[in-house]
Parts: sequence; structure tokens; C-alpha cells
Amino acid sequence: MRISLSTFLTLAFLAFTTMASAQTITLTGQVTDRSDRSPVQAVISILPAKQVKTATDYQGKFTLQARVEDSLLVQAFGYEEVRIRVGTVAMLNISLVPNRAELSEVVVTGYGSSTKKEITGATSVVKSEEITKLNIPRMDQALQGQVSGVVINTNSGSPGGSTSIRIRGLSTFGDNDPLILVDGVVYDSEGLNALNPNDIESINVLKDGTASIFGVRAANGVILIETKKGSQGAPAVFEYTAYLGVQQSAKRLGLLNAQEYAVLKNNAFLNGGQDQPFANTALGVGTDWQDAVFQTAMTSSHSLSATGSSEKTSYSIGGSYFTQDGIVGGAKSNFSRYNGRVNLSTEMTPRLRLNSVFLFTHEERRTLPENGIGSVLFNTINAYPTEPILEEDGRYSYLALVGDIINPLAQMANTYNQSGVNKFVGKEELAWDLGEHLTWTNRFNYNYALVDGKVFSPLVWYGPGKAQNTALNADLDAPTVELAEGFSLERGPSVYQHRDTYGDLAFESYVNYDRSFGDDHDFKATAGTSVFVRQGKGLGAWAFNTPNNSWEYADISASQAAGGYLNGASSFFFEERLLSAFGRAEYAFKKRYLLSGVIRRDGSSKFGPNARWGIFPAISGAWVISDEPNYGLSDQIDFAKLRMSFGVAGNDQIPNFAYRALLNGEGVYPFNELLTPGVAIGRASNPDLKWESTKQANIGLDLRVWNRLNVTLNAFEKRTSDLLFQPEVSGILGTYSAGGYPPFINAGDVRNRGLEMELGYSSKPIRPGQFSANFNLTFLRNKVLRVPDGVDFIPGAGFGVGGNVATRFEAGFPIGYFHGFVTDGIFQSQAEIDNSSVVQAGARPGDLRFVDINGDGVINFSDNSDKTQIGSPIPDLTLGLNLNYRYKSWDVSTNLYAALGQEIIRNYERQQPYANMLDYTIGRWTGNGSSTTIPRLTTSLTRNTVFSDFFVEKGDFLRVRNLQVGYSLPKATVERLGASKLRAYVSANNLFTLTGYQGFDPDIGNFGGVLAAGVDYGFYPQARTLMFGLTLQF
Amino acid sequence: MMTRLRPLALAAVLFFGLSGCDKFLDVQPRYVQDAENYFNQPSDYEMALTAAYDLLQTSYLTQWIGEIASDNAIAGGESVTDTEGLHQIEAMTHNAVNNELRSIFRWNYAGIARVNYLMEFKDKIDFPGKEGLIGQARFLRAYYYFELTKYFGDVPLVIDERLGADQVTKLDRSPAADVYAQIEADLRYASATLPWSNPEKGRVDKGAALALLGKVQLYQGKHAEAAISLDSVINFGGFALVENYADLWFDANENNSETVFDIEYSGLEGGSYGCFVCLEGNAAAGFNGIRQYDGPYYSDGNSYNLPTQDLYDAFDSGDPRRDITVLDLDAFIAAQANPSSISYAIGGGGHTGFYNNKYIKRQAELGLPDNDLTSPLNYKVIRFADVLLMAAECHAQEGNDVQAQTYLNEVRNRVSMPVITSSGAALLEDIYTERRLELSGEGLRFWDLVRSGQAAQSISNFQTGKHERFPLPQVEIDLAGGQWAQNTGY
Repeated sequence: MRISLSTFLTLAFLAFTTMASAQTITLTGQVTDRSDRSPVQAVISILPAKQVKTATDYQGKFTLQARVEDSLLVQAFGYEEVRIRVGTVAMLNISLVPNRAELSEVVVTGYGSSTKKEITGATSVVKSEEITKLNIPRMDQALQGQVSGVVINTNSGSPGGSTSIRIRGLSTFGDNDPLILVDGVVYDSEGLNALNPNDIESINVLKDGTASIFGVRAANGVILIETKKGSQGAPAVFEYTAYLGVQQSAKRLGLLNAQEYAVLKNNAFLNGGQDQPFANTALGVGTDWQDAVFQTAMTSSHSLSATGSSEKTSYSIGGSYFTQDGIVGGAKSNFSRYNGRVNLSTEMTPRLRLNSVFLFTHEERRTLPENGIGSVLFNTINAYPTEPILEEDGRYSYLALVGDIINPLAQMANTYNQSGVNKFVGKEELAWDLGEHLTWTNRFNYNYALVDGKVFSPLVWYGPGKAQNTALNADLDAPTVELAEGFSLERGPSVYQHRDTYGDLAFESYVNYDRSFGDDHDFKATAGTSVFVRQGKGLGAWAFNTPNNSWEYADISASQAAGGYLNGASSFFFEERLLSAFGRAEYAFKKRYLLSGVIRRDGSSKFGPNARWGIFPAISGAWVISDEPNYGLSDQIDFAKLRMSFGVAGNDQIPNFAYRALLNGEGVYPFNELLTPGVAIGRASNPDLKWESTKQANIGLDLRVWNRLNVTLNAFEKRTSDLLFQPEVSGILGTYSAGGYPPFINAGDVRNRGLEMELGYSSKPIRPGQFSANFNLTFLRNKVLRVPDGVDFIPGAGFGVGGNVATRFEAGFPIGYFHGFVTDGIFQSQAEIDNSSVVQAGARPGDLRFVDINGDGVINFSDNSDKTQIGSPIPDLTLGLNLNYRYKSWDVSTNLYAALGQEIIRNYERQQPYANMLDYTIGRWTGNGSSTTIPRLTTSLTRNTVFSDFFVEKGDFLRVRNLQVGYSLPKATVERLGASKLRAYVSANNLFTLTGYQGFDPDIGNFGGVLAAGVDYGFYPQARTLMFGLTLQF
Repeated sequence: MMTRLRPLALAAVLFFGLSGCDKFLDVQPRYVQDAENYFNQPSDYEMALTAAYDLLQTSYLTQWIGEIASDNAIAGGESVTDTEGLHQIEAMTHNAVNNELRSIFRWNYAGIARVNYLMEFKDKIDFPGKEGLIGQARFLRAYYYFELTKYFGDVPLVIDERLGADQVTKLDRSPAADVYAQIEADLRYASATLPWSNPEKGRVDKGAALALLGKVQLYQGKHAEAAISLDSVINFGGFALVENYADLWFDANENNSETVFDIEYSGLEGGSYGCFVCLEGNAAAGFNGIRQYDGPYYSDGNSYNLPTQDLYDAFDSGDPRRDITVLDLDAFIAAQANPSSISYAIGGGGHTGFYNNKYIKRQAELGLPDNDLTSPLNYKVIRFADVLLMAAECHAQEGNDVQAQTYLNEVRNRVSMPVITSSGAALLEDIYTERRLELSGEGLRFWDLVRSGQAAQSISNFQTGKHERFPLPQVEIDLAGGQWAQNTGY
């Protein structure tokens, strides 16, 4: 729950009579805050002659003249207004109660709205200020740490990179992203790049079963985003905001320098029984590849908006430009966004209102290979420091000693990957008042995206034997293709271009009925229907022999491939549909006892005729305890509400036609030397595939303590059953062929249990020094309850390249928990190995000593019997804290985020003889007693590289995500400039991270699926950004 | 009354009105055929058969393992953790966690599944030539099952049906004898329905089917039956040894008189490490290539599957097959015009100085990038010399030494090696020796040592009673419900 500075209600006053009746009396007194009797600055108007106004002084004191029959209206920002009859009392002490307007604030729910007071579900609302303040290009990144129950991880720190949004834990195997609706239009996580966070008015996260109004798409929670709208009767306000930022890498890995590298490699080769490669180890520092790859990069943002209204029309329009270069690759990993929007609401007739939302966005993004073997950072980490960046003849060095590492600078120079998106999103909505109590809303939503991409592959030579070579040799000779006997063609540089269009169309029609019967009975109902169609189609083509081996000419039109023989094209098409009916009934008795029921019926084309329709109900209720007549705690807790909800929601996030087998596999074989296409099954079928369903129970409490502290508590249990997923299956099914995939199945149950707390505090709004704080905490336990019949677990992500399986989906453990060997120090001597009660085959002094988990006296590397749980990627506890302090014209704010209790797998070390290493290896075992934690180095076969807790690190971290200091020019100065507000600030993002994790960034998402969560493949880290910005209103 | 009913009526229309439109949701896939409604015309069968051939190309793994597991070669490569599974196999320390063994398990079953899909619908329509088409399909299934049972012994038998995910956990391993019976039945059908020669290069024919049948029988110790199968290949197949042994190994000379069963590869499609099963080229040649080689004739590769000194020394110095089989790189370089300009690197995974000279990346035979993965060199699974030697072995086992000597000496005669006149056990021994000299580098050695009972004496760390079979991948045991017992010793 959020504290808002605006407010309202109740009163209390004390009066003392000093004078008898007179026509006019002189009143003196003081205005104070009811809770702590501190003075409040207020304005007192004498009614009915309203134009007479008196302001209290700094101590809340006032003196005024009034007639005995007059009333006084006492108003203060942030307090309930109070009316007092003057009477004959000459001295008045007026105490004000902070207002509770936040309770009547409108909260957008599905197909309707409610108020904070009335809402029966577990929701969290974030206001625009909290988001815009952070200067983060994506709304979802800005949401990290803002609300309880929502965990956001960055999948990539590259500009335009996406995040994983998890509402109340991982509940499914596949797509865990919530349903995101922006003004009612569906966005996917990727699509959030199109939104300028400045345009957002509010974000409402539906976390519990009441999200069932969105049926089959609601199981992972729902995020409702409203963009800014003009409000009736408000004058036009123009706002310009801008910032300029400098980004740098926040952390470098500790890698070996040249001398350390030479010494350690000699040691490893010696231990491997091989010649030592470095006769001379006095090589100094050598090349710092991180220094060469990471760079300072710029980012900037400009937004202009106008919000206001005329007589019948309110509007909010705006345009913005954002650009960000990458700290790896600079402009080669740039993301830019241009957008413009028009939100209009107009009263066509007194009973008919048109609400129109339109957004156009143009995005451009360039990317480099990231995450995993072959990425720029993986190459950077493993490139060895004895190699220069450039050889004497000016060419990039080859890093020839490690086969699958290429020079990361050469790689960046030769990567050309650019995509552009033009997106049109909008809503046209007609709300028709059919009567006093009844509104019929019809709306049409669309989301149309045109995606263009271009990838240029120049002829390039990274060194002998490198997999990424496209040329035959350093002279960049092109390979030749013999198309027929004696007919060969050169296959030169190539360009791939594609244009894809995606369009969502939704038509929704619903009625809202709202009626009170007497004072005690309030009734609301909603019923409606929704039709949703999504289509995607794309055409891609590639062409060879780009002139001059140059990006300048990289276009299919410039192809010089003879006869076009090498060129080709591909296309795709898909369509999916969703048909829904929904209803909701809400009843409140005496506004204290609230009951709400929801039902939705969804039919989805993603499923076969056997299981196409699903019904999703929810029921919830609340009791406003503080409104009970005999409630006795109002001095301490002036608002208290108990909430309970239970609901069922679904998930259909699987590919189309997953229920049936299509012949889209790949089966090519050369007959007569000609590659002959065959026909094969792609994904195996499962005609009974059905909805995944999530049942969730929630119990919550909303409190306001001492008028200042808002507290929200939630406890929930969420069970997902019939999980939709595509696990690894037995090879016997025969799905592991080219273009073949395992079937999607419904199997497994997952439980998430959690506790959430949100605290909001704000000091009295009238003081010169104002302080506010929001704190949230989420405690989460994730457990798999059931796996598919017949199997004990589903294997997940691999570790290294040797076939080690590192993560699992297994009953009794969290999703994607880490499973491997447990180490117990280092064997210090042969005698220790010989005397050990456990046989560890092949062990040598200096090797990791594994724990005999099953107690059979042997470390069994051949099966799973000695492996156990050695970590989990899911944090036990996440915490967020916002602090704001304003003193006169100055403001300071900070945002902190912490995640505790999760582990990360260090999987970016290429275990090759000449690959560079992290500097912890300096502390390796070199002889009896030298180390008890880090094994010896060797180039021969050891078990030290099997997946064990040696490669698992604690991932706990606390991050100062933002620190900001701002100054607002005094009003007089600003007005002299013709403006109404001018604020300038300096701000730092990702300023500081407290963590023990060795990698670049502990805030890693899941690049490659749920079971790859917590596996660090050399992740593109988030930058540290220093910004200067300003906001100007006029 | 009317006004009171109006909202209710509207709500009812909205809630129930559209939800009956099931047709609206019946979206059909476009531009792609459905697996259940296929096999409507002969070409449909043809296309499904082509896809079943596709998995043959994953046999590059068996080219490696048959050598590396034996005394012929070490794993090599960049380091011992570079394809660690091969290094463990070399050292006989392999266990149930092994990527390469898992790939063999998965890919051969993928091939079987594609055959079974076709077989499931084999009676849907009739057309001329269907028998021969089914014959090819059954040949392929036999090949894939033979690979599986060679590696793993007892394996689950799935015939003519597609399995549902829930059926796997109820499936047991079938005894190897049952698997062999199915393989023989498939090959008999294939040999009965296929012509002796198929004009289309790459298609299996009667010769391939009978030769594979003979090999399968030989691996089971059914020497008399195997002799019959192999003799008919020799007598009626029209095969002949290529005159010059050195000619056999080049892309340009493929599809020759000695070709009994080749797996076809092509360099016309690029490839990447991301998907080995998608490759159209032969990954073995590039991987066997010389690391960072910069010089004439050969091209750079990954220094895998490096022949041992023991293999090199097994040859008589006058045997031309030695240098054709094993590349002594330093000797080759020394013989070039400008040796000092030639360079190469030694991988951390081991170095012997020797390279597999039959399947190796040569400059004249490069596929498209990444050309370590796209060699056009066919894998000669069964060539006529092998048929002769297998037949010789069968006859020797059956006491028909004269016939055995004839076949053996036909092979030796090509490379001008002296005639062998031994008999009995000595003859059998000579045949085994000849197999090594003739067929090394072709992925057969380990299996020959195992079935002849010579593995323990030739392969260090080989444990009799254990290493004849490879372990079933643990993850496959787990995915099948954990019911299968692991092979003995693992």
C-alpha cells in the first residue's frame, strides 16, 4: 500500500468560551495535527464570505475576525478539511486529521475500477513518481524492488535487454511472465521497450486469485498499466524532462594478469605431466581484455508532454526520445526509442464518452552475441593476457591457443546486427451511460508491430580453426560452393534481412452496474465478453556476395551472387484466438462487509478440441474492521481491513498447435550429391493438452497506524497443477532429431508460499522538511510437489561442456534447484587419499574431496547417488526500500533492493589449458596445507570439473539502485521565467552493490528458460550510470 | 419491469452470447501438413523415407568411438575437458554421464522413430515400388538398432508405432537377442525387396542389406549364416576392390565399385556447433584435422581421434596402407618444398604426431563454414574389403580355411602384400590382424576387439565383463522412470 500525500476526513476540536455574544468577535487559536499536536500551516476561510482568507503562521497560529453566525473552513494540504461554527468562543484550538483520500483513490481492476478501501484482492499500486524518478528506460526494470511479491531480474544488461518478471514466484515451467495490459492492450515483456516510463500514470499489480477475471492468462499475475490522461477541468500543463547520463561497468572480474597467468599455467602443465609453456614468466601485466572491451557509454532522454482539458475533452499528449549505448560495444549495442502518444477523452453526448489511446513507437536496437560460449564477454573473460589486442602488423590477434575463444574486439568490430520496430498501439473505447446505474463499454484494442531486422556477416578470419570464420584464410578469400560438376560459385559476405508483422486485435464489450439500496446495501456487477485474435507473419531472405565486404552495401538489393543461386528466403505465419466471457458481482453491506465473486470462461485456439474451454472462478471478501461502531483502536489504528481471496486462473503460454504433431521437422539427406528435403515430425503431439491451472488463496490485512504509517500484509499459497511444459524426454520417443522437439505435456504440481509486507510512511506534508519511506519485503518458498508420472525428476541446464546436468525439476525441491556433488576440502596428501574411508577413483593430492552422500564408501561419478541439493536460484527473501527527503527546495531520494538466499552457478570459466582464469586460482593447492578450498591446477583429466558446490556461489546482494539529489528553483524565480516548476538533479543508478558473488552482476535472470535460472554464462552486466537531468513545467 | 430486466438481459447476452462459437477457435495450421493426415500419395512416403535417412549422418560419433575406445587412437582435442566423454572412453573411465553416449542413444532412436512413423502408415495406400521403399526404411531401422545394441546391449524395442510420452516408463529393455532378431527380420525383408543396385547414389540396396545382415550375424557369432549372407554379396553383388587403396578416401572417388554401404555427406550446407544433428557434413573429418594447420594440402581442424604409435607400428613398413591410414605429420612436412613455412599446433588433449589420414580435412574437400563440421567425405560403413574379411573370418570359424585364405589374400593382393597360407587358429588371428591393417581409422576396431575377445589384452584398463558394453546414459534411465538396471560394472 502506498502513502499518498493528498488526503481527507474526520475532525475533533476543543473550544473554550471567553466572550459573550457580539456581532463580530476576534478569534485566536492554533491549528495542530491530531496525532502529535504539532503545528500545521492552514488556510482558514470565513463562510459564507469565502473570499476572506487567513493563513496561519509557521506555528499554526492565527487571529481573525468573524461574525458569530459564520462558519470557518479550515484547509491544510494533506489533512481533512474541517468546518467549525464560530459561535461565541474566542479561542479555538483546531486539530486536523491527515486525510484518507488514498482509501478512496481509484484502483483500476479488470473491466472496472474500485477503491483502495473497497478492494478485496491483493494488489499493489505504484505511482508514476516512483518510476520516473529512477530514470530507467524500461518500466519493468523500474518496478524492481517497488512492490512486494514481485521479483524482477534482468536477463541482460544490454541496452533494450529484457527482464523476467515473477509475481509470487515461479509457478510454471515455461512462460512465467505475467499478463501485462497497458490501457487494456496486451504487451509482452519484450514489447515493454516501446513504453516511455514517463508516460505511465500508475501500475497496478494483481497478485492473487482475483486476477481470475483475466482467466486463462492470469495465472502468473496481471500487471495493469495506465498511461497518463488529462483530468477534467485541469488547465494545460506542459512538461519537458530530460537527462543525460554516462555509463560505466560497475564491476570487473578479478582475472589473472600475464605474469600470474604464466606462472599458473606452467604449474597446471607440470601437474598434467606436460612441458611448461612459459620459459619466462616475468611478463608483467599484459593485456587487460576487460579494459579493452568495457567502455564509457552515453545515454540520454528527452520527453515533452501536454496534459489538460477543455470543456468536454481532456487530453494528454507527448513525445519522447531515448538512446543508450552499451558499456560493451558502445553504439554496436545501442538501443534507441522514439515515441509519440495521444490520449484523448471526450464527451460526445452527455451519455456517451469516447476514450482514445494511441501510441506510436519506433525502436532501434543493435546487439552483440551475449550469454554463453561465443559471447563477447565469455571471450573477454577467457582471453589470455599474454596476447596483445593487435599484432604488430595491425591485425587483431588470434588467441590461437584456445580453440573456441576469439578476439572479443575483432568480434565486436565484425558484428552487424540491427533491428527496428515500428509499433502502433491503441484503444478506442465508447462508454455509454444506459441509465443512472448502468454503463455499457465497447472497446477495440490493437497492437500492431512491424519488425525489421538485418544481420550482416562479412568475410572474416578470426584465426586458424576458429568456428566463427567465414573466410577461408587471413586474406579473406571466400569459400566456394560446387553446385554441380564443374560449376562452382564463390560464397562471399552475406546479409540476412527479415520483416515480420504482428497484430493483436481485441474487441471487448461489457456492462457495469452500480447501485446502492439504502445506506446499507451497495451492489456492483460486471458482465462481458472478449474476442482476441493475434496474427504474425514474416518474410526473411538472405543474399550473398555483398559488395566490398562492407556494411555500407549490406542489403539484398546489392547482392552480387551470380544467378542468385546461393540466395534464399523463408517465411512464417501464425494465428491464435481467444474467446471469453466474464462476470463479476460485488456486494457491500454497510460498506464494512465486502464480498466479490468472479467467473470467466475462456476458449483458446492453443488447445485441441478435447480441452479447449476452461472456467476460472474466484471469490473474495473483506471486512473493514475500523468502521465497526464499537471499534476502539481508532487512535492507534485508524483504518483496518481484513481481506481473503481464493481464485483459479490459467496459463496458456505455449506455442500454437502444441497439441498436434505437424510435419515441420527437418530431414535432409544427399541423394545423387543433391541435398534432398524429406518430411519429418517437428514437435511430438499431445491431443489432450489442456490449461495449466493455478489455485491461489490469500489472506491479507491493510492497516493505517498513527495516521502516518500504512501497512499491508499478505500471506498466500499458490498451487499450480497440470504444468504445461516441454521437458526433456526419453530418447526413445525419437524426438531428438533435426527440427524435432519433445511434446508439451501437462504434468507436475508446484507450490509457492509466501509472506509479503509493505510499509509506507510519510511525514506531515506541511513541514519544510518532509520525509517519506516505502519498504517492502517478500518471503517466498517454492517447492515442486509432483513431477510427471514415471520419472523422478526433469533434468535442466547443463554445466560446462561435458554433459553434466546442473539443475533439476524434482518433487520436494524448488524449481531449478542445483544438484551436484558436495565437496569437503582438498586432499592434502596421498596418505590422506589412501587412508580415506571413502574411495574416490582417480583422486590425487590437491583434488577436491567429495562427500559420500549415500554412504556406500565410494564416490560414484557414474550415477546420481552421491549428488544432492547444492543450491537454488530462487531468493528466500527480497527487500525493497525507497527513501525520500525534501527540505525546502532540495530533495534527496534513494532506492535499494536486496535479494537474499539464492545461489548462482559460475559457468563462465572455460576449462581449457590456455584459457585465462579468475584470480582466486592464485590461492590454489600447491602442496600439503597450501589450500583447503581451491584444488590444484592440472591439464590432465580430473574430477575437479564435475559439477559440485565448488562452482556454486552465494548470490545474496544489496544494491543501491538509485541515489538522487534534486533542486527545485524557488517559485518566484521560476514564475519570472514564465514556468511553473523547474527542477534539476543529479542521479546515479546501480551505484553500489554489496555482494560476495564473484561474477559481474548477481542480479541475473534466466537466459534460456526456468531451469537455467541462476546459471551465469558470462552475463551482460547492468551499467553504473551517472546522470544529470531536469524537469520543466510551464 | 422492463428497465429492471434490461441490464440483466444485456449481461446475459454478453456472458453467454459468444461463448458457443467453438468454430471461431478451430484455427487450422497453415502451410504445414499434419502428421495424422499424411501419406496420401507415393511421394509422401518418399519424403518420410528421406527424413529417416537423415539420422545416418550422426554416425560421425561412431567413427570416433570405434577408434578412440580401441588401441588405435587417443581422443586428442584441445584439452581433456574438450569433449570429455571421448577422453573418458579413451581412458576406459567412462561412466553413465557422457554426452557422446547420450547422443548415440538419442539420435539412433530418432532415426528409428522416423522409420516407425512411416511403417505405422505403411498400409494406408498402395503404389508400385512401395515394397522397395519399405525395404529401405527397414534397412535403416536395422542399422539404427544395430548401433544401439552394439553400444548398449539390451535396449527397448519399439516397432511400427509412435510412442506417447506416458508409454516410455512402462517400457523395459528388450534382450539383445530379441533386438537382433528384429534387425535380422528387417534386413531379410530389405534384401528380399531391394534391387542389387540402385541408380540413385546414396540409396541402400540389396548388397548393403545382405552385407549388414552378414555383419549382424557375425557379431552374434552366427558364422555359418553370416557366411551365406556375405558370400551372396561377394558372388552376386557385382562389387570389386578399387585398384588403388589410396583412391578410396577422396570425395571425388566416392560411389566406386567397392562401395557397399556409404553414409552420404555434403558440404553444401553450412553448419554450427549449436546443432550437430542438423549437419549435412561429416563432422569427423574436420575434427580429425590438424590443429591450426597452416600449410599445403590439408586444412586446419581440431586434432581429435589421433592414431597411436601402436597402430603405426602394427604395419609392415612395406605396407602402403600405413601411410594412407596414418598421417605422420612431421614426416609429411619435412617432405614439402618449404617445411619451415608450415605450422600447426599441438592440442592439450594429447598428441601422438599422427592423424587419421582417411577421414581428414583437406583443402580440396572443404564444405561451407564452419568447415570443421561440413566435410563432404562419406562415411564408408561397409566397403567390399570389409565384406571379404568378414566372410574370410566366418569361413575360418567354420573350418573352411581355403575359402577364408582366398578372401583374405584378395584384400592383401591389392596392396601387394604377401599371400597368407596359415590355417586354423593362426589363420583366424591373421584375419583379425588384417582387419586392423585394412580397416583402421574407420570406426571398427573396438567392436572387432570386443567380439574377438581380444579387447582386454589390447586396450589398457579394459575390464572384461564390463567394457564390452557402454553404460546406458544415467539421464536416459532417469527419464524412462529409473526402472532399467544399468549395464554390468557401471
